[in-house]
Order: sequence, then structure tokens, then C-alpha cells
Amino acid sequence: MIEEIKKAIVDFAEGSKKTKFYFKDMESAVQKVVPGAKMRDVKKAATALVNEEVLIYFSTGSSTMYGLKGRGMTEDPTEGTD
Amino acid sequence: MAFEPVREMKKLNYEELRIYSDAELKNYTEEELKSFKCKYEIPKLDELEKGPWPSFVSDAKQEALRRRKLSDDQILTHRDAVEDLLGQLELSFDEGETHWKHGGIVGVFGYGGGVIGRYSDLAEKYPSIAMFHTIRVNQPASKFYSTDFLKTICDMWEYRGSGLMNLHGSTGDLVLLGTTTEQLEPIFYELGHVLDTDIGGSGSNLRTPACCIGKARCEYACYDTQALCYELTNYYQDELHRPAFPYKFKFKFDGCPNGCVASIARSDMSFIGTWRDDIRIDQDAVKAYIAGDIVPNAGAHKGRDWGKFDIQKEVIDLCPSKCMSLEGDQLVIDNSECVRCMHCINTMPKALKPGVDTGISILLGAKAPILDGAQMATLMIPFMKAEAPYDNIKEFVEKVWEFWMEEGKNRERLGELMQRVTLPKFIETIGLPPAPQMVKAPRSNPYIFWKEEDVKGGWNRDINDYRSRHKR
Ligand code: HEM
Ligand code: HEM
Ligand code: SF4
Ligand code: SF4
Repeated sequence: MIEEIKKAIVDFAEGSKKTKFYFKDMESAVQKVVPGAKMRDVKKAATALVNEEVLIYFSTGSSTMYGLKGRGMTEDPTEGTD
Repeated sequence: MAFEPVREMKKLNYEELRIYSDAELKNYTEEELKSFKCKYEIPKLDELEKGPWPSFVSDAKQEALRRRKLSDDQILTHRDAVEDLLGQLELSFDEGETHWKHGGIVGVFGYGGGVIGRYSDLAEKYPSIAMFHTIRVNQPASKFYSTDFLKTICDMWEYRGSGLMNLHGSTGDLVLLGTTTEQLEPIFYELGHVLDTDIGGSGSNLRTPACCIGKARCEYACYDTQALCYELTNYYQDELHRPAFPYKFKFKFDGCPNGCVASIARSDMSFIGTWRDDIRIDQDAVKAYIAGDIVPNAGAHKGRDWGKFDIQKEVIDLCPSKCMSLEGDQLVIDNSECVRCMHCINTMPKALKPGVDTGISILLGAKAPILDGAQMATLMIPFMKAEAPYDNIKEFVEKVWEFWMEEGKNRERLGELMQRVTLPKFIETIGLPPAPQMVKAPRSNPYIFWKEEDVKGGWNRDINDYRSRHKR
């Protein structure tokens, strides 16, 4: 199941027009493909993908998003608050 | 159960770990400091040094001077970082606009928080602060440090960062201000492997939990704030470092309603020590206060002569629920009316103490005014025991998180979600029975409405029968 979820995350990330997305959006996208996927499973899979250097975190300081490594994500900062 | 650490903390020895000698740390004279001139003109910042309070500008100048005099191999980042920072700040004061940008993908490997990318938008003018990232260091419970730890982290930060730090930020963390992207991993290594600590929370994570000094020093503490803070920090490591929340989430722990960490205003989930039995009264000590043998307020206001202590005026009349009285020379408290405001206990600490059946109240939903106004927390659990291993508390925490993670929108704080779904719906979902303590003021926070199944016999009625007696 975890492999399935990982694939669903990568498919979503590659297919998305956006280069970075919130956890919740990633979670709902996964649940469309893998209906049984619980929030915890999605989190585990996302963590695994971060450790495999497929996904990276993007943070404004106050909130955090995920993105595919090397796809439109730069060190660019944004507006926001801590 | 007595407090047990997950493991003993490493003993640090500064003499073995130090980077700088005493002479290098104090490498300038008072004369040199007095005549120090920042490489930019900073008249507005100079002005800040003139008031009665110590100014960060003076601290920054000392640091700038020290960095001028350290040799090249003694600093890994920019020598001029502090002076550039002062220059840019002066400019911001002139223009009334910030020149900082923040956020980005900087961080340490595997962690989704704790590092906040920060950049100058005037990198050409102030190249030493082109990158000036913030690192939050998880402070120990109640901020008890050893001097070996503090000296070691100061040396490390002089070497790998700007030397500027903030003890402590509003979040509670020890904040390291200003380093470059390439130094992040080495610093993370030093913090974890040498200093035996961890970085704190930022982003859509559990933020670094913080507690009052609690049982370590304070006899009012109704539970061990340090133990609970430590336990939940360790237990929820994954939530601290791997973001999956809709937004930030803060725990804070006050040992009693005096609220020294102001958890009621500063945390999404506020834990406040309380008791459910009676305030303990030592009637002899009450008499001693009345006779003037003991200074009230533990001497806190004795800098001025306030006249003879008047228990009626200073304690009984000020009780918010008017539940105290003197009968003869006996102080009587109607404990069922007491709202645990702490006033009488604070005024006569030798005579009055919190009860012995102690635990916590849990309040939810405080937040700062980014959306709507600032909001204080709403009481959810009037009383719960708080004893290791705290399973009852963890169960509640997880129920709240589950609901927020399910229903919360992106960037929606718990308090905003509670407002959006309404209190009755919220407590129903997390399985709490409505309680009068939840209603602060009937017009300003919602009533609890009964549902038909809550009422014996329901409220089925025959509308035609009703209309036969009541005209439309
Ligand atoms: C009658 C005027 C004022 C009142 C009643 C007032 C009251 C307060 C209170 C109650 C706090 C919270 C303290 C705490 O957290 O324990 C506070 C914090 C603060 N106030 Fe004021 N204030 C006043 C004027 C000012 C002015 C004129 C300034 C700035 C020029 C200022 C700057 C601040 C700052 C920076 C903090 C936050 C300090 C921190 O986070 O440690 N205040 N103020
Ligand atoms: C001298 C007579 C009365 C006084 C001084 C009085 C005063 C008040 C006050 C102060 C409120 C609270 C308003 C608020 O906090 O928003 C209120 C609410 C209310 N009163 Fe009266 N009232 C009187 C007579 C009545 C009568 C005769 C009725 C019904 C026949 C009535 C029906 C209500 C209702 C239904 C509300 C609640 C309105 C709401 O839900 O917002 N009142 N009244
Ligand atoms: S909150 Fe209460 S228990 Fe904690 S330090 Fe303050 S007075 Fe003491
Ligand atoms: S704690 Fe406050 S409410 Fe309770 S008896 Fe003392 S003064 Fe009154």
C-alpha cells in the first residue's frame, strides 16, 4: 500500500500545474486513487519520499508545502509570517 | 509515577568543546567599543541606545566589533553580517518598509521545520546578509540550561553564524539569527550530535512546546509542567518535524491559573493547572496576615508603604465570585463558587494554597490576529488528571488533531475552525459533553442547544393540536 501511495503522490505532483502544494491537497489526490489511504499513511509515504529526495519541503516560515525536487522549486522566498 | 527522562542528557564540557579563548571572546577594549563606528551611518539606531533600557543596538555593536577583530579562520560566515544588518535596519526605519524576504526550500534534511529561510532584498548593497536564515533551537523545559551548554552554543554560532541570537523568541525557542544555506547542515549536526538538542518547530508543524517553571521552583504548580512538556515534545516528535497539519499548532503549559507562559492567549491547546477540591486554609497564618506579621503578596509590592494590610478590602472584596467571608477571625471560602482566579492565594501565599486533588484544565483555540481578531482560548475540559504516562491527555490531543486535520482548511488555525463549525458542533465531534464552564458570556460565545434525543420524551408535538390553541 505504501508504494501505491508513493506512486500516487508522485503522479499527482508531476501532473499538477502547481509546483508546490499543501499536505491536504496531496492527501485528497491520493485518496482518489487509493481510497483506503489514511492520513497517517499519506504522511508516512510523503516522509519516505522526502528521505528518498524525491519530494522536498517548501516553507514560508508559518506554513509548509511539498514539491517535487528539481521541478520549478528554487530557493525563492515568499511573503508570509512566521 | 516519578519523572523519568527518555535518556540522560549528555554532560557537556565547555573547556573541551570551546572554539575561542577568553582573550578572543573579549578581543576589544572599552575604549575601542566607545569609539566604535558602524560602517554605515545609523543615527536612528544610535538613538535607541539612549533610553533607560539596555538596547539590542549596543549588543549588536559589541558583536560587530568582535567580528572585526577575529581572524579569517575564526569565522566561517560573513564578518560584516552584523554591520550590514544594522545598515539595512536603519534604512528600513528611514523608509518605513522591511527589506527582508522569507521562506523557501531551505531546511535541514528530513525536517520540515525549524529553519526559516531569510534573505535581504538588497543583497547587492548588504551582501553579508544576502542569506540570513533563522534557526529555532528547542529550548529545554522551563529554559534550564547549563552554562557549558550556553557557552558552547555561543561559540558554535559565532563560528558558523552571525553571532546574533535571541533568548528567547516569542515562540519559546532559543533563536539563532542569521546564517547561510551551506552552514545549515553542519549546524544541525553540531546541535544534534554535540549539543545533544534538537531544532524546534516552524511551518505547518507542532511548534516547540513551552512550559512555566512549574514544580522546579513554584509551589503553586498543580502538575509537573516540565514533565508533561517534555513527554509531549518527545512523544510527538513526528508532528514537530514532519508537517502534515493545516497550519501551525502550539501547546503551552501553565502550572496554575497565574499563567506565567500565558498559554491561554498563546497556544492552540492550553494546559492550565487547577484543583477540584478546596483551597487549603491555614487559619493561624490568616490571623498573622491580618495582624501584619506576614507581608502580603510575599513582599512583591513592599517597595512602597501601602498602609496596614486590610483583608476585607484587599482580598475578600476583590474575589471575583464574592465567595469569601470572615466569620469572626475565621476565613471562609465557598469553594463551589470559586473560579480559581488565584488572587487570594497570591495575596496570602502562606495562608492559602491550591487544593490537593490537582490536575489540568484544557483550553483550545487561541491565536494571533492574522485573520479576524486575536482570540483567547475557550475552555473545553474543566478538569482532567495530569499524571504520567498521560494517556488521557494524549487521547484528547489526538481527537482534536484528527478533527482539525480532517475538517480544517489550508492555513486555518484550530480556533478559526472552531468558530466556523460552531462550538456545539465542535464539542459534539470531539465527544465532549457540553458544560456550563464552556460558556464565558452567553452573548459572546454560543449557547448549547439541546437535541431532541437529549431530552427525556423528546419534543414531538402535534402541530394541529398546537395551532388549535395558538393562532398563527
Ligand atoms: C499604555 C501603553 C502600553 C501598554 C498598556 C502596554 C501593554 C503591554 C502589555 C500588557 C504587553 C504584554 C507584556 C507581556 O507579554 O507580558 C506589552 C508588550 C509589548 N509592548 Fe506594550 N504597552 C504599551 C505601550 C507600548 C509602546 C509605546 C510600545 C513600543 C514603542 C510597546 C511595545 C511593546 C512590545 C514590543 C511588546 C512585546 C514584548 C515582548 O514580546 O516581549 N508597548 N505591552
Ligand atoms: C422591561 C422589560 C424587558 C427588558 C428590560 C428586556 C431586556 C432584554 C435584554 C437586556 C436582552 C438581551 C439583549 C442582548 O443581550 O442581545 C433581552 C433579550 C430578549 N428579550 Fe427582553 N426584555 C424585556 C422584555 C421582554 C419581553 C416582554 C419579551 C418577550 C415577549 C422579551 C423577549 C426577549 C427575547 C426573545 C430576547 C432574546 C433576543 C435574542 O435572541 O437576541 N423581552 N431582553
Ligand atoms: S503558572 Fe503558576 S505554577 Fe507556573 S510558575 Fe506561574 S505561578 Fe507557578
Ligand atoms: S481563588 Fe479567586 S475566586 Fe477563588 S476564592 Fe480566591 S479570590 Fe475568590
